[in-house]
Amino acid sequence: MSTAAKTLRRRAAKGKNGAAQPLPRFFGATLPGFQDEELHGSLIVLEGSDGSGRSTQIALLTEWLESQGFAVQTMGLRRSSLVAEDIDDLLANNAVTRMTLALMYATDFYDQLEHRIVPALRSGMIVLADRYIFTLIARAVVRGIDREYLHGLYEMSLRPQITFWLNVRPETTFEREFKKSHAISYWEAGRDMSLSSDLYKSFIRYQGMVKKEFEVLARRHQFIEVDGEQSVAEVNGDLRARIAAHLGIRSTRFRPSSAMTPAWR
Amino acid sequence: MKKALDELVNPQEAAIDLEPGLAERTSAATKKDGARPYPGALVVVEGIDGSGKSTQLYLLKRWLEIGGYRLHFTEWNSSDLVKSATKRGKQRRLLTPVTFSLLHAADFADRCERQILPLLHSGYLVLADRYVYTAYARDSARGCGVEWLRNLYRFAPVPDVTFYFRAPLEVAVDRILSGRPKLKYYEAGMDLGLSFDRAESFRIFQGMIMEQYDRIIETDNFVVMDGTLKVDRLQRKMREIAAERVDLAGYLPGRKP
Repeated sequence: MSTAAKTLRRRAAKGKNGAAQPLPRFFGATLPGFQDEELHGSLIVLEGSDGSGRSTQIALLTEWLESQGFAVQTMGLRRSSLVAEDIDDLLANNAVTRMTLALMYATDFYDQLEHRIVPALRSGMIVLADRYIFTLIARAVVRGIDREYLHGLYEMSLRPQITFWLNVRPETTFEREFKKSHAISYWEAGRDMSLSSDLYKSFIRYQGMVKKEFEVLARRHQFIEVDGEQSVAEVNGDLRARIAAHLGIRSTRFRPSSAMTPAWR
Repeated sequence: MKKALDELVNPQEAAIDLEPGLAERTSAATKKDGARPYPGALVVVEGIDGSGKSTQLYLLKRWLEIGGYRLHFTEWNSSDLVKSATKRGKQRRLLTPVTFSLLHAADFADRCERQILPLLHSGYLVLADRYVYTAYARDSARGCGVEWLRNLYRFAPVPDVTFYFRAPLEVAVDRILSGRPKLKYYEAGMDLGLSFDRAESFRIFQGMIMEQYDRIIETDNFVVMDGTLKVDRLQRKMREIAAERVDLAGYLPGRKP
């Protein structure tokens, strides 16, 4: 466990018991029809590029939180019942223009926000988001859509209590993704942007551009940056320490179940 | 082709076509000093259901077609792209005011980027049966914030003329109810819980939409048209105004606007 994580752990031990945290609020305007009711749960976001280890970390955190007695709900991109399939189709035939794609992703996001996140928070669950509006904003900005336009578009989304950014080098991302699927996808390599005919160069340049945009977002939205180059266990230790402090969990000790051990390495 | 590539390689450059939003361009678009960023012209009709707008735009289109003008006609209805999503959302009643609005915006963005903008750039007259003002009026009646909606459609080109057809609520609603007895769930605004009776809900909802339209008559330079006038008289007036506001001769074959 890193020094920072130890500090956080000590602070957590001193912290008050129970999750008396500030309520989640919207970035800008409130969702239509949203009564000013209390949202008891916490919204915790994991951002990071493909291959940054987000999904593994979400699975581990879910197990840890459940072992601590917290109910967990997850969300992610392209998981809405409304338009997930349609986005898959659009991506598959890549005839879609950037604005349309950006707005379809926004539809997918808000559908989950209204039908999944808000109800979960209302009933006091912990929502773990496998990516959030920040990825959507960064991807659209590098494709030339105005930053303030996008912040306006997503102003009715809830401000997360914690946003982690698993920061990895594009080169590492490439290696991990290639190991996983022995290929690099059209969109992950940013091939719609005609950056380079060389797939590797295109990938590195595209991921580099997205990363730069994340640096802008990190400052604007107080991300907690986590070094994604560390081992799975080290990253998980950092995340647990911060979440424990937030939720008032005294112990961050955790041994993953046998089902999760392969991921733990 | 070369230009398209450059835009993609330099995303900062490409941002330009989203920058001149409705607000900034409203004045530029109404000036006749060539301040518009494209040679085409955009003529829009708006109004609640039954206000007579579609009939009038059809007649304007016929007049221009017969005259040989370069034109393209576009409707607010969904393109194939998001049709399945809209259908699914409506059938299963999954749509909220926000997702309803976003799906229509995605649909419009597709039409805008693939039809309206390219045609305006290539010097066409584009006639639109309903435009972003439909979204402003209907979605704000549903509870979406006006500011949010304005930002959402910032990428839309500003019309050269917007005809707003206005008929008394009862007249418009009766035109619809007498001809088409079965109203759809979202069309009738049933999602707002205004009334258990579809016709009654439709009546109230249309009234709310009209209220929203009326609010933006001035800010969005609407040309208000009296939807109770006789069809041919109204059409004569519409043609006069169109000819006044748009340099129609420029859209004849072999001519440049």
